[in-house]
Amino acid sequence: MGLLDKLSGWLGLKKKEVNVLCLGLDNSGKTTIINQLKPANVSVFCPLSEEWKHVSQTQAQEIVPTIGFNIEKFKSSSLSFTVFDMSGQSRYRNLWEHYYKESHAVIFVIDSGDKLRMVVAKEELDTLLNHEDISSRKIPVLFFANKMDLRDAMSSVKVSQMLCLENIKDKPWHICASNAIEGEGLQEGLDWLQGNVSVQYIE
Amino acid sequence: MSDSSSDGGKWLDAHYDPVAGLYTFSSCVDLADLSGDGESRLVVGDLGSGLSGMKLKVYRGTALMSESTLLDLPAGLVAFFMDLHEPRIPAVAVASGPCIYVYKNLRPYFKFTLPGLEVNTLEQDVWQQAREGQIDPLTLKEMLESIRKKADISLSVRSLRFLSLDTSDMDEFVQLHKQQPVRRQTVITCIGTLKKSTADEDGVSCLVIGTESSNIYILDPEAFIILYKMSLPAAPTLMDVTGQFDVEFRITVACRNGNIYILRRESDKPKYCIELSSHPVGLVRVGKNVVVGCTDESLQGFTQKGKKLWRTVLPAPIITMATMDLPTRGFQAVLVGLANCEVQLYREKNLLSTIKTPDVVTSICFGRYGREDGTLIMTTKGGGLMVKILKRTAVFDDRDSAPGPPLAQSVRLNVPKKTKLYVDQTLRERENGLAMHRAFQMDLSRLRLAAAKAYVKALESSLTPMSSSLTEPLKMNAVVQGLGPSFKLTLNVQNTAACRPVMNLAISFLYDENLYRMKCSYMRIPLLVPGLVYPVETFVECTSDKGISDIIKVFILHEGKSSPLLTAHINMPVSEGVTLN
Ligand SMILES: Nc1nc2c(ncn2[C@@H]2O[C@H](COP(=O)(O)OP(=O)(O)OP(=O)(O)O)[C@@H](O)[C@H]2O)c(=O)[nH]1
Ligand SMILES: [Mg+2]
Repeated sequence: MGLLDKLSGWLGLKKKEVNVLCLGLDNSGKTTIINQLKPANVSVFCPLSEEWKHVSQTQAQEIVPTIGFNIEKFKSSSLSFTVFDMSGQSRYRNLWEHYYKESHAVIFVIDSGDKLRMVVAKEELDTLLNHEDISSRKIPVLFFANKMDLRDAMSSVKVSQMLCLENIKDKPWHICASNAIEGEGLQEGLDWLQGNVSVQYIE
Repeated sequence: MSDSSSDGGKWLDAHYDPVAGLYTFSSCVDLADLSGDGESRLVVGDLGSGLSGMKLKVYRGTALMSESTLLDLPAGLVAFFMDLHEPRIPAVAVASGPCIYVYKNLRPYFKFTLPGLEVNTLEQDVWQQAREGQIDPLTLKEMLESIRKKADISLSVRSLRFLSLDTSDMDEFVQLHKQQPVRRQTVITCIGTLKKSTADEDGVSCLVIGTESSNIYILDPEAFIILYKMSLPAAPTLMDVTGQFDVEFRITVACRNGNIYILRRESDKPKYCIELSSHPVGLVRVGKNVVVGCTDESLQGFTQKGKKLWRTVLPAPIITMATMDLPTRGFQAVLVGLANCEVQLYREKNLLSTIKTPDVVTSICFGRYGREDGTLIMTTKGGGLMVKILKRTAVFDDRDSAPGPPLAQSVRLNVPKKTKLYVDQTLRERENGLAMHRAFQMDLSRLRLAAAKAYVKALESSLTPMSSSLTEPLKMNAVVQGLGPSFKLTLNVQNTAACRPVMNLAISFLYDENLYRMKCSYMRIPLLVPGLVYPVETFVECTSDKGISDIIKVFILHEGKSSPLLTAHINMPVSEGVTLN
């Protein structure tokens, strides 16, 4: 990264494009999280350019279960994110692997209130980490232990235990408890992601 | 929280609580979205200890969400839509004793009681007399006993209980009960649901109940009146219902007489009957077929008309059965809980997979639980609750594991048409059977005679390489070595007697003198000690160069006897060289 690039990065003039894959079981809150990360008002943050026209860039009012996947774009202080918000329903989960190759980071969302399906989340995570397009790369994985506001929600420590996250040795990872409806915990996660993704993939 | 290896890693272990305190059977377990939030709950009629602690329990995920006390032992439990109100939330019906308790939003909503049965008038009169004090308890007992013997309408539960009492308790019992009218009640043995007019998932359903009085009733879901009554030859124990009440339906019931009856809409009597060789303990429907588990450790498949399709033998007695229906993957199979702590999955008669469980499974329920479509819920004998989730990637091999006839056996052979010749021969055989048989027997006798003659001749002329004479038992074999024209002939002679030596033997050769030349065609053999092999060597010269060979006959002779002890014919090989001189 040249000094000028860095400078422009800091100034927010020229931002690096990062592809982020948002995965997790259905109903875990992926769409809600992505929706929170988008700016509330368009004109302030990013003026509409030609190529972004087809992509919704503002917060949706109502969130419904995702069919297939959605592409969302938003910017942080230094990066511009293209997020693939995949559907978590089991009949769409086989779509995930087609996006592994071009992604620079993964956000994996877990419903901390759904103890019963923690095994299913673990199974899908293991399949992801063992996939040939992911296993060989050091791409950062950010976990959101979402719905921490629920009364019977498990702590992020408990969630990482149940998913055996300590076994991930070859990739940077991080887990944050979050409440996507209130937007709590999301910024912490995004900051971590920003720090790790730039180290790895942006020259 | 790891894959169990015994089932080939097809299931994820989502939850296991060995001390959940759930004591129930498959008939008392159901899955339903009781809150209308898209998350299915587990509804269980818990039998408690069998005497107390009967409860209606509802689980959400891994946690017990609510429980309420049941008044009596549950015989069956179903969730069903009883009306068209929004939001679409199903009600729960629990059958116990003669009643059905209906719960809505998990609160008691309605109680339906089966109509009483006809009471014996003689019995009524006797109790009337007892009430008026005309007869004492002992006379009452005698009279009731005589009624029980001859009456075709059986006694009420009250009278039966009275008859079983000790004399000392009778008086108190009569005092306690004599004021109430005599009633006869039946009890519910099984319960099912039948869609009213649409096949929709959330369509309104009628309740179908089987009773100890050998009847089947269909109840209207809103008014709770009896829409239909059917009678059976015996009390039903297991039931499967399919179809729609207003269109066409089929009720399959296993009865206590060991038969299965299939009832149709048109008739109030069974339409088909399946007579089993042993008692049924499980009955489920897979597609259009019925799968029955029997006490003889077998699983049997039948068509909906009662035709037997297959039978397979299980490794242990059956405890419970359930259907595994996964419409999103078009998969249907039968889960069988066995007494050897295994749950086996069968498609038709083929075993697809086996799940090993830490305890005997007493109830199985497969369906959508929470947000997961392929969830298997089992409770165990010790009161445990086990939840397994079918992996998204699991596939079941459709290989035919049962040993049977090979595939080639069922391929039809292309047998050619009968030819004229074949037909003529067959006719001839049919007409002349007797003569042909005689001719055959005659030839067979001749053959035997010829064989016997040849044998005698061989014995008489000692044409065998073994002498059977008692005084000189001998054995000989001959070896020819060399390529020609000179051959070495070795005769191995052995005395096979136990201890007696043989003396005064000689060997003589007989051959064509135009072909062969031998130094001496007569040799004397020394004394033969029993058991030892004596090689006698001599040389034969072939004098012909025409490439022909002949046999050389060898005789073993005994001095003073004209007939040889042994004769051997040696087939000489063709000489491959030429004589030098
Ligand atoms: N209580 C609570 N509810 C949440 C939270 N995050 C999301 N939800 C709710 O969870 C439900 C599902 O959220 P979605 O964002 O649609 O989930 P998803 O992961 O995108 O699901 P699919 O698109 O089907 O894969 C919605 O009703 C959200 O309101 C949270 O942090 N707390
Ligand atoms: Mg979504």
